[in-house]
Amino acid sequence: MKLMNYKACVCNLCGTGCGQFLKTDGRKVFGVAPLIAHPVSKGKLCIRGWHANELLSTNERITTPLIRENGQLREASYEEAIALVVERMRQFDGAAGEIGILASARSSNEDSFALGRLAREVFGTTVRGIGAEAGHRKSMASLEHAFGYPGAHGSLTSIDKADYILVIGTDITRQNPVIGGNIHAAQRRGARVVTLSSSRTQIAKLSTKHFQQKPGTKGLLVNALAKALLAIRTANRERRANVDQMPGHTEYVASLRSISSVALERASGIRYEEIEEEAKFLEQAKSIVFLFSSGISGLDRPTIDAITNLALLTDRMDHEHSAVIPVAGISNLQGGFDMGVSGEPGNSVFKALAEPDSPIRALFVIDHDDGIIRDKERISKLDFVAYSCAYRNAFMDLAHVVFPLPAYNETDGTYTAADKRVQITRKNVDNPHGVLPGWALFQRLAVASGKAWGYQDAAGVFADIAAKVPGYADLSHELLGKGFGQHWNPKAFPNSRQRKFNAINIEYWESPTTPEFPFALMIGKAQHYWHQNNLMRKTIVPRREYDQTLWLYPQGYIEISPEDAANLKVRDKWLVNVCSSTGTCMKIAVKISPDVQNGTAYIPYFIKNMISDFLIPYENAYAAGEESVIPIKIQEA
Amino acid sequence: MSMYIVSSHEIKQLAEALRASYDVYGPQVDPQTQQVFFDQLGDVEALNLEAPIPSMPVKEILFPQMERVLQYKYDAEAQSVEMSKPYAERPKVLFGLRPCDLSGILVLDRFFLGQEFVDDVYLTHRRQCLLISNTCLNPFPQCFCVCTHSGPDADEGFDLDLTKLKDGYLVRVGSEKGQAIADERNWKPAQPHHLSEHKAVVDRCIDLFPEMATDNKAWVSRVMNRITTGFIKSETWEYIGDQCFECGACSFVCPTCSCFNVEDSRMCDGECERLRTHDSCSFEGYARMAGDHNPRQPVEDRRNKRFFCKLSYPQSKKYLRPGCVGCGRCQWVCPGDIGLPNVVQYIRREITE
Ligand code: SF4
Ligand code: SF4
Ligand code: SF4
Ligand code: SF4
Repeated sequence: MKLMNYKACVCNLCGTGCGQFLKTDGRKVFGVAPLIAHPVSKGKLCIRGWHANELLSTNERITTPLIRENGQLREASYEEAIALVVERMRQFDGAAGEIGILASARSSNEDSFALGRLAREVFGTTVRGIGAEAGHRKSMASLEHAFGYPGAHGSLTSIDKADYILVIGTDITRQNPVIGGNIHAAQRRGARVVTLSSSRTQIAKLSTKHFQQKPGTKGLLVNALAKALLAIRTANRERRANVDQMPGHTEYVASLRSISSVALERASGIRYEEIEEEAKFLEQAKSIVFLFSSGISGLDRPTIDAITNLALLTDRMDHEHSAVIPVAGISNLQGGFDMGVSGEPGNSVFKALAEPDSPIRALFVIDHDDGIIRDKERISKLDFVAYSCAYRNAFMDLAHVVFPLPAYNETDGTYTAADKRVQITRKNVDNPHGVLPGWALFQRLAVASGKAWGYQDAAGVFADIAAKVPGYADLSHELLGKGFGQHWNPKAFPNSRQRKFNAINIEYWESPTTPEFPFALMIGKAQHYWHQNNLMRKTIVPRREYDQTLWLYPQGYIEISPEDAANLKVRDKWLVNVCSSTGTCMKIAVKISPDVQNGTAYIPYFIKNMISDFLIPYENAYAAGEESVIPIKIQEA
Repeated sequence: MSMYIVSSHEIKQLAEALRASYDVYGPQVDPQTQQVFFDQLGDVEALNLEAPIPSMPVKEILFPQMERVLQYKYDAEAQSVEMSKPYAERPKVLFGLRPCDLSGILVLDRFFLGQEFVDDVYLTHRRQCLLISNTCLNPFPQCFCVCTHSGPDADEGFDLDLTKLKDGYLVRVGSEKGQAIADERNWKPAQPHHLSEHKAVVDRCIDLFPEMATDNKAWVSRVMNRITTGFIKSETWEYIGDQCFECGACSFVCPTCSCFNVEDSRMCDGECERLRTHDSCSFEGYARMAGDHNPRQPVEDRRNKRFFCKLSYPQSKKYLRPGCVGCGRCQWVCPGDIGLPNVVQYIRREITE
């Protein structure tokens, strides 16, 4: 007998994909409970998951299609809004790059797949992209080269069994807290957990070993670990025929050999002897899990290549509890890539928007509810913008037509977590305004343009996905509804047994800091919020928590070490002038943190709202994510 | 106190009969996930008195995670406010409460009803509530009620109390309300041997507790002593604080945690609603005061607040019992490793080292 008020689903607030119950009477959501039997989350949720009910109860919803008339958005029927979009879009030449698609990393697979069809078959365009995709594309490219398919190798559940876990860079207890909790549990049961991170993050504190390297040298350190591992094998006269024969091995080994321990120590601040010690543990481990953040604040390609190479070199990747997982911050980033709505080089919508002379004239957008809209100027000058989202937000101001979407519990949909686990959330609440699910909306647009797709329901869309998307062939809504999802099958990719090393370059990162600009400024994450800000701002308790920091530091803050603060003669919350080497300056409060290294400084990501002018000249560095470093000086204000 | 011996069938009949005039809640197992919830019964067949401890505490029914507690509309021109009460009183039966959850309700009663202010929302949900407890025949993983005097059997607060014996359920009556229900039914009075069997059943359950739980028993009071007198090393609190992911789960699943937050939100038509939501002392914003003063900003200071609340004498005096009822749920849901039983262990380690 089904329960009256508790419905199982999947948390949609990050790429961990935790099991969640919503307490609901089918009309409203009153609460949340964790799902104990879920193989990844095992009865745990983070602050976001525990407050999903607040987000799902917000009044800030888009409830009906809207059309801009005389500068104002007014309510419209679906018929009218759909007819208008079809008519306007007809005036643009998709094939000539005049129409762009901005997909969402939160959309279900069904919605993204149907959106992909809409783009190709109706708008005739290939110009597209997913928010937050830049970092993930690098992960996908590196993994595809190394393992033969664009996705994680292994499962998040391996964390619970593996001997050795290497966490590279990510502030994982903030970004994907439940994965962080699983790593912590692994450490307690005796797994060796090693974190590489320039600041003393919570996971660093909970690790068996923390390498607090200088900024910009994570990849170098991973390569050094590979070199030390190789040295152990050479000393033991051990050969790993299968590894040695992988394409790229000779070049890889030659590059590793060129690492100089002196230069390594100077660049990273870590002694090679320490790395040699670590390599012994790595060599002994039978199963190894590599975790790194992927998405908007992900690593750069050389660092990811260093990681995938080391993974192959360990020769442990066939163990059932080994894994290499690009940990996505947003729920269905992986699914968006799988459904083919990410922008490939040459047809990226972000590039089209950034280049002043690109032909783009119209945009079809899903979600994009970040506080900051990139290329806002350009978008506001486009001839036509159609926008769809469940929640009211700033992008509506740029749109000529707006469509509502259901929240994640108001429609059937599947989501692919960071480790390729495809899971289903069934509709458990009726949308009070009867809004169409994304796939159905896109189908209506197709029909109005004279194309019939014939989807009856989301399960039907998924059947089409299973037929067309590599790896999804064995899956169906019915099957996914039975357990806790299933990983898509990498064997569908012809190269999945063809492992290859990525080409690496040993570079000793030179800090761009100078005597005049002695601090290396990095973009860090603050508790809870990063890029899902705009969703969290629609909650009650998480929003209050977010505001804590803003109340204490209304001008935003820059984190520096206690020693640096003493040298600068500043105290916590004092305002300082921060100036970059390109001449931009800002006034910001100091936050003293013992977890920060001397000579480094962090500004939380979300404060970009306030400091965007300061960062404008660094847009590229900014997009480079965790590894970007900006030289600054800090002076008393 | 009268006592009866009643068959399983008669228990189901009782539940069915009560459904005529009450909303009946009881333990049920979700068929898909096997997770246990104490939820409203659509069908008495779903009532499962042998199900393990429910995953969420019964406080969800009396003090839900999120509730609309006021609706109002302000008319600026007429300068008048229209107010309405969106919550309603409904007679309820909580059928098959685990003794720890029953103790949890007694603690909440003290908090919401037993002090200077009576909380009208809680009172409305609680007023016409019939409490039927159910003795645990074996502890579930993480249970440690033997340390906190709240199980495995109930000794106060129930209207009716059930214990499964060989001949059927022993029903003990605990109140006039309970007696009235018993009087309406044609139940067989229990024999003295049923009472000794009841004692044997409870003793056997206590024996089944893992050593750690029984072992902790003496330690809980020593730890309480330490916490009350403030003799816990700051390193121990830091060790605990470093493991807190600030998710709030421990408070949400605790049958005795009573903290809440109140927020007004505007709806589209100018109407406003006041929401009350669960809150947690693990959150930074929870302790912040006007003027930006926050006495508990570092996470370890916030974290130890919880254990002061659960395990210190002044708090126990307020609740007339320890603030922890030993259900172990906080241990299940914590992504760190700082459920209450573990914290007792950490402090114990500090004492013995
Ligand atoms: S870790 Fe991610 S998926 Fe899990 S509860 Fe938190 S936001 Fe939801
Ligand atoms: S503190 Fe933990 S064990 Fe004690 S009553 Fe609360 S949830 Fe249960
Ligand atoms: S803690 Fe005690 S009373 Fe509660 S369910 Fe476990 S054994 Fe029963
Ligand atoms: S459940 Fe654990 S991690 Fe979450 S707030 Fe409580 S103590 Fe902290």
